[in-house]
Amino acid sequence: MFALARTITVLSSVFQVAFSGVYANMRMVHVLTSVVGTKCELKVKNGVIYEGVFKTYGPECDLVLDAAHRKSPEPSMGPRREDIVDSIIFKSSDVVVVHFKDVDLSYAKRDNFTDTAVSSRINGEHKEKDLEPWDGGDQHVSGSLESLDNDLSNGWDPDDMFKYNEETYGVKSTYDSSLSSYTVPLERDNSEEFLKREARAAQLAEEIEASAAYKARVALENDERSEEEKYTAVVRDSHTLNRENKYIPPGQRNREAGMSWGTGRQNSPRLVQCSPGPPTPRAGPHDYNTLSGVDQRVVNGGAHPWPSRCPSPSSRPPSRYQSGPTSLPPRASTPTRPPSRPPSRPLRPPSHPSAHGSTAPHSTVPKRLSSEGPPRMSPKSQRTPRGHRVASCRGGGPPGTDFMSQGASAEVSAPPPARSSPSGGTWSSVVSGALAPKSHRPRSPRQNSVGGAPPGPSSLSSPQAGTVPVDSMTTPASATSPTTASPAPNLAATPLAEAKESRIQETRQNSPSANKENVKPMESSSGISRPASKGVLLNYLLQSSSNPDPVFETTVTKSAREPGDKPKEQPIEKSTTDSTGPKVCSESSGSDEVSATPAGSKPSTPSPSPSSSALAAVSEQKRGPDVTSQGVQTSSPAVSASAKSDKEDKEEKKDPVPESVRKSTLNPNAKEFNPRAFCTPPKPATTPTLPRPQGQPSPSIVVQQSPAVYGQAMCFPQMYPLASVSPGVQVMYHVPVPHMTVSQSKPYRPGKVPNMPQQRPDQHHPPGTSTMMHPATAAGPPIVAPSPAYSTQYFTCSPQQFTSQPLVQQMTHYQSQAQHVFSPVMQGSARMITPHTHGQPSLVSSSTTQYGEQTHTMYGKDPNLNPNPFSAPIPQQYPHPSATLHPHPQHPQPSATPTGQAQQGTQHGGSHPAPSPVQHPQHQAAAAAAAAQALHLGNPPQQQMYSALAPTPPSMTPGPNPQSPQATFPSAQQALYIHPSQVQHGYSPNPMAHVQQAHMQSGMVPTHHGTPSHPPVMLMATQPPAGPQPPMAQGTLNPIPVSSTTHFSYMAHPPVQPHHQQQL
Amino acid sequence: MAAPAAGEYFSIGSCISCTTCLGQRLQGEVIAFDYHTKMLTLKCAPSSGKPNLSDVVLVNLAYVSDVDIVSDRTATPPPLASLNFNKLANRARAEKEDKLSQAYAISAGVSVEGQQLFQTIHKTIKDCKWQEKNIVVMDEVVISPPYRVDNCRGKEGSALSHVRKIVEKHFRDLENQKSVQRSQAQQTQKDSALSA
Repeated sequence: MFALARTITVLSSVFQVAFSGVYANMRMVHVLTSVVGTKCELKVKNGVIYEGVFKTYGPECDLVLDAAHRKSPEPSMGPRREDIVDSIIFKSSDVVVVHFKDVDLSYAKRDNFTDTAVSSRINGEHKEKDLEPWDGGDQHVSGSLESLDNDLSNGWDPDDMFKYNEETYGVKSTYDSSLSSYTVPLERDNSEEFLKREARAAQLAEEIEASAAYKARVALENDERSEEEKYTAVVRDSHTLNRENKYIPPGQRNREAGMSWGTGRQNSPRLVQCSPGPPTPRAGPHDYNTLSGVDQRVVNGGAHPWPSRCPSPSSRPPSRYQSGPTSLPPRASTPTRPPSRPPSRPLRPPSHPSAHGSTAPHSTVPKRLSSEGPPRMSPKSQRTPRGHRVASCRGGGPPGTDFMSQGASAEVSAPPPARSSPSGGTWSSVVSGALAPKSHRPRSPRQNSVGGAPPGPSSLSSPQAGTVPVDSMTTPASATSPTTASPAPNLAATPLAEAKESRIQETRQNSPSANKENVKPMESSSGISRPASKGVLLNYLLQSSSNPDPVFETTVTKSAREPGDKPKEQPIEKSTTDSTGPKVCSESSGSDEVSATPAGSKPSTPSPSPSSSALAAVSEQKRGPDVTSQGVQTSSPAVSASAKSDKEDKEEKKDPVPESVRKSTLNPNAKEFNPRAFCTPPKPATTPTLPRPQGQPSPSIVVQQSPAVYGQAMCFPQMYPLASVSPGVQVMYHVPVPHMTVSQSKPYRPGKVPNMPQQRPDQHHPPGTSTMMHPATAAGPPIVAPSPAYSTQYFTCSPQQFTSQPLVQQMTHYQSQAQHVFSPVMQGSARMITPHTHGQPSLVSSSTTQYGEQTHTMYGKDPNLNPNPFSAPIPQQYPHPSATLHPHPQHPQPSATPTGQAQQGTQHGGSHPAPSPVQHPQHQAAAAAAAAQALHLGNPPQQQMYSALAPTPPSMTPGPNPQSPQATFPSAQQALYIHPSQVQHGYSPNPMAHVQQAHMQSGMVPTHHGTPSHPPVMLMATQPPAGPQPPMAQGTLNPIPVSSTTHFSYMAHPPVQPHHQQQL
Repeated sequence: MAAPAAGEYFSIGSCISCTTCLGQRLQGEVIAFDYHTKMLTLKCAPSSGKPNLSDVVLVNLAYVSDVDIVSDRTATPPPLASLNFNKLANRARAEKEDKLSQAYAISAGVSVEGQQLFQTIHKTIKDCKWQEKNIVVMDEVVISPPYRVDNCRGKEGSALSHVRKIVEKHFRDLENQKSVQRSQAQQTQKDSALSA
């Protein structure tokens, strides 16, 4: 058929694709083609009947019959050969009827590859091939295969891999064998308490190891028979064993080798796990490895994605413990620890007392590690791991070096920190929960370095000594303290609150569960705002960390964010200044904080201030990062000289606050995370475990960030003055954050956890939405908080994005979920989102109090909107960009010009200390918008970011939507409100988001101005985008409205444009 | 040349009846219609009565009258499935070869009995062909004139026995048919005689 059709078409019209005649009639073509090859009787108009095999047909329905013959009226005889014409072409005009008899119309439809078709042929006789043993034969000289047997090493040593990648590809691994980002080294000391705890831990370990369940599980793990052996290996006759040069299957080898092989295997697996840490030397205490590994696992509760690393760390810790004195001393010697500890301890005491659940967990974990560590050392598996671990610890940059590096790392380079973390990692490894501690510790060291570590000595001693369980506990706390470190400054102001926050953050970082716990503690403590902040903080911290501290910068640079380093530094400085600013603003924000803090008892003023400072730092950082990455910084400054002046002012202010800011930024976690995030690509490659770490890191990061966010938020007001755009955003953040903390603490945990997973799978949006929902439901009032969270998220996102190149990567990361850094961010964002929702209510209240009434309402609405956008994890980041964009529009509306808007934002900030300004922009949007505006106005980078974001439409959209709503809102608050709802609609793709949105809208509209007309319009605009591509459209839409046309261009999203128009 | 009743279009799935200029009454379900060529394709009940088969009639409406829509489409036509062209092409080639081989056999002077036997065998076993005047079944069994059971030769086995059964049955049926005809003829004769 085709041939005909082709020939015909070709002949009739060269390359005329358009089918002519019958060929254009699909059904006719189908039917006629279906009967090709069947016999038919064709009657022509003169009554003659021809019979033949239908061959084909032409465009004019000319029919071709093969082997046709004129059918005689006498049916008896068949046609003679001479009667048959090879083929006859009948013109359709001559044909009266063609009768195809007994045609199977489904003949050509049948394929031979359906299950039915295949099974019909095989008819149940399918038989799997018998597996036959392969014998290399005598000719198989020992060599290729044999060499494998002789190679006891289990593949590449991680260090070798790192080295290879660095030499070959210039990729530097940020892997820290100590997992300092996730755990905190156990601080040993000779204190009675520590000894008691150690003894207790040892006892517990003994009990556990003595249990049948434990043994059974160990047996499973240590079962020398591999799965292949058990299920798929080819069974060979014993004679095959008589191999000299013959290939010996793995299974047999093991059997033959017996224990030696078995151990080898055990080692290898374990080694693999341990590999991350100290792959090289296995000499280390074997027992430690196994035990530690087990313990860690236990501790982690499987939460840790990195079997290898985690185990290694844990193992390492044990080894250290064993070596205890020796190892410890080095550590002690290391500057990093001391600093970290001191700060941490000081903080810890307060924090511990406040005692978030987190501390307790840590303590328990540490105990296990410490106690178990030794016993574990004994275990078989531990042997190899131990060796590796030990080696890693010792060889890889042993603790001492690591510490040194860490200590220096802050300033020097990320790699060192990472290494140092490893050393700490061992300790941290001890307790899975310690993961966060580790991170904290590293951070803490950094922080110490940055913010100065008064406690340094004490902390040092404890870490090194690996004080008794209690100490270990303390270490975790210290670890938290590191996290707090970021808070540290805050702590200075409000040790307790900071400590708590830090702890919370730490716990979150440590593990989802831990995070949850932390959150709870946070909640318990007035820290609700903190929790929310935490989520945000984590992000912020990350961001802030990058910005704030040199360490971060170094880490970042090290990690691979080379490009952004300098920029980041600047941003950091800015952030620091901002942070200071936040403090200054804290006055205004202070009220906000207070309002928020009310929920959280302790934090109240102190915590707020810290958080605010942190937020400020974060915001600053974010801004800074953004600016740096995009060069927005410069632009922003340029854009608003006033902003610069503000910044300067902030800087001045910072001087007092800087420490806190720095600390926050310094937060080991943040730094570490950043590196990871930045380095994520490399890291993933380096270690499989990354996934877990990510999750953990992210949580922790989130927590830290949240504080940072708060700080930022606080700063934002200041920021606004400094940078018209940024301030607004920051403000938004500030407000939301507090709220978030308050309402979210619980919600966050769940939300965070869910978010994390969801984000990964759903690309953030779903999670975010879900989280959003929770928060919203849980803390509808906190809306304000949510907005902060969003803002924070945005900030975080923006920072990352700003990091410039990172932005795109981040985007990808977000989408992929795979990216560790991003994932954290996402989580953070999710959390943020939740917080937002929660925060909204509170925000509103706070906003009202702080802000003008209208503004308040607006803010409240805005927060909602923002939350929605933020709700989507990815969106969050996107939101930032979009937010920035949107904010501009909003600003423009008021001021008519982006810059003007920015100024307005700044003005607002001026009128309202910190939060209020931001809020003024229209709170929600205000924050986002402010940020966006800031970005836009002062930050070309933001636009870039947007563009970058564009790649990741989903996430982007959420963000943008919120922002866009905000932007719209500026014009009319009501309109703004509507936008949020619209935004929500856009999010609709995510059921959760929709619901949340709906909630938000409902809540928002009622509370605020329920301008029917405006809302509808807005909805229309938003809806369109949402409909087409919820995420993208939203994002685009949001950006468009918010941002100027230019933004649109960036976004290039159709939906957005409509919004803009509408908005406009 | 009667114009289509319902406008000039036939909706797919509707049932149409018409009468050709040659006086043939057609009725079937419209499965395709081309306006420009006035070609209407109907799916009719299978002449063999097999449920999974159907007759397809391509009618040139230019030579049709009394077009009547028996019933309109009840459901939307099913989507068109992709076709295996190779399969169709192979079928066309095979059909052509079969017909040619058969024609060749006929032209070779094969008896009517032989042709009938061939048709009968072909119904059961597609793999049969003419080789000169011999019928070759499955390349194993050769039936040579006069095409009796005894004429079936080949390697002893299921194939040979199977072919023999077919041939045996063919002639038995043929005999029965003849006997029936005879009896009927006799009866008619008797009847006529009686009547006479």
